[in-house]
Amino acid sequence: MSLSTHTTPSGFVLPSIHAAPPFFTKQPNPATEAIVIEQWSKLILSYARHRKLFMLRVDDAETPGGEWDEVLRNERINRRLPPTHLESILTAMVVKGVAAYEPAKQTRSVLLYWRLPEEWAEVLHQWATSTGQMNTIMTYYEITEPAVPSPLSNIPIPLLRKAIAILAKTNRAQVIAIADGEGVRFFAPAK
Amino acid sequence: MHRRGVGLAAFDKQQTTRRFEELSNSISQSQVTHLNSQLSQFRTALTHFASTHRDKIKSDPSFRHAFQQMCTSIGVDPLAGPRKGGWWAELLGLGDWQYELGVQIVDVCVSTRERNGGLIEMEELLRVVSKLRGVSGGSITVDDIVQSIKTLEPLGAGYQVVEIGGRKMVRSVVKELDDDQTTTLALAQDQGGRIVEDMLIDRRGWSRERARTALENMLLRDGLCWLDDQDEVYGRAYWVTSAMKWDV
Repeated sequence: MSLSTHTTPSGFVLPSIHAAPPFFTKQPNPATEAIVIEQWSKLILSYARHRKLFMLRVDDAETPGGEWDEVLRNERINRRLPPTHLESILTAMVVKGVAAYEPAKQTRSVLLYWRLPEEWAEVLHQWATSTGQMNTIMTYYEITEPAVPSPLSNIPIPLLRKAIAILAKTNRAQVIAIADGEGVRFFAPAK
Repeated sequence: MHRRGVGLAAFDKQQTTRRFEELSNSISQSQVTHLNSQLSQFRTALTHFASTHRDKIKSDPSFRHAFQQMCTSIGVDPLAGPRKGGWWAELLGLGDWQYELGVQIVDVCVSTRERNGGLIEMEELLRVVSKLRGVSGGSITVDDIVQSIKTLEPLGAGYQVVEIGGRKMVRSVVKELDDDQTTTLALAQDQGGRIVEDMLIDRRGWSRERARTALENMLLRDGLCWLDDQDEVYGRAYWVTSAMKWDV
């Protein structure tokens, strides 16, 4: 039996370790489990980046048919990632700073940082510059659901808030209260 | 007036000794000269041979093997010599070649250690090293790997070629394998890595306790295998990562 990579219907190339049956089991040896967790978090982040997925929930491992099936299950070898194992992987990812619990104060759903908030801040500012949105007030909706798809399409509001807060620190954005919630105004960086 | 008798006494003892010394000197002188000329001839021949076949020695594994065997049979170590690396090695560039291969072996062993617990099958090592070297590196053989691991010995990193179940494996961690582990590893290799208690009980006649202890030790203590708790047949299977065939 040879363990090889596999290309999923969505065009994602699964690493060969995904074809190894024990990869789906929580390892009793802590050193081995650390390797397994490291491999899983790498896999989760790259798959999220590939499909532009922002959220991962323990529920995704419980019920089939979700957008994470290609990764959390391997029908070819009849294995799936047990929800409890996924939960401990999520915990490790949060500790490592590549994910954050969303909403806070629970451990079953995370926001994935396949780009760190700092990187999102740069993407956001660059997008605002290139689309000529400097100094105008924008609603969050205009950013997350733009008429022309952008790298920020569908970005979750909590992540957007974090990115704006980072820009605000360097005076490149300002949060503004508007009639139906919050808005933001972008500034060119001070020379 | 007496004439001196013609007898042995006529020979001046001292003179004789001197003559013999002269003769012996001249003989050994000529022998040394002869030897020197032979040696230089041998060297020239070797240099010529080496420079003519250097590329072939480096690129053709069977030629390299034959060459190394020839060296061993005439008592010449291609890597030894008066200078660092040896004039022999310098002549061939074989020293660098061997060290380079050694570095590649270490690279593969270290980078796969996490997933195989520091034990890699020779074939697998050969495959990954060959991949690392690319096509231009020429093909390498098990012999080359064994040779290179020998050159790594002075480093004391504990790289060792061990034989398990008739198959060569390279161990990159200092870890003694007991008999039960060796048996388990050998069996796992036949099974593509997967092993369960019942296999050891049925095929090796072990008691369940003995089988469990061996497997759990490998799992928990040595990190030589991974657990699969979703096994269709037994529910709990052990996977010896060094016996699994990884494509990447």
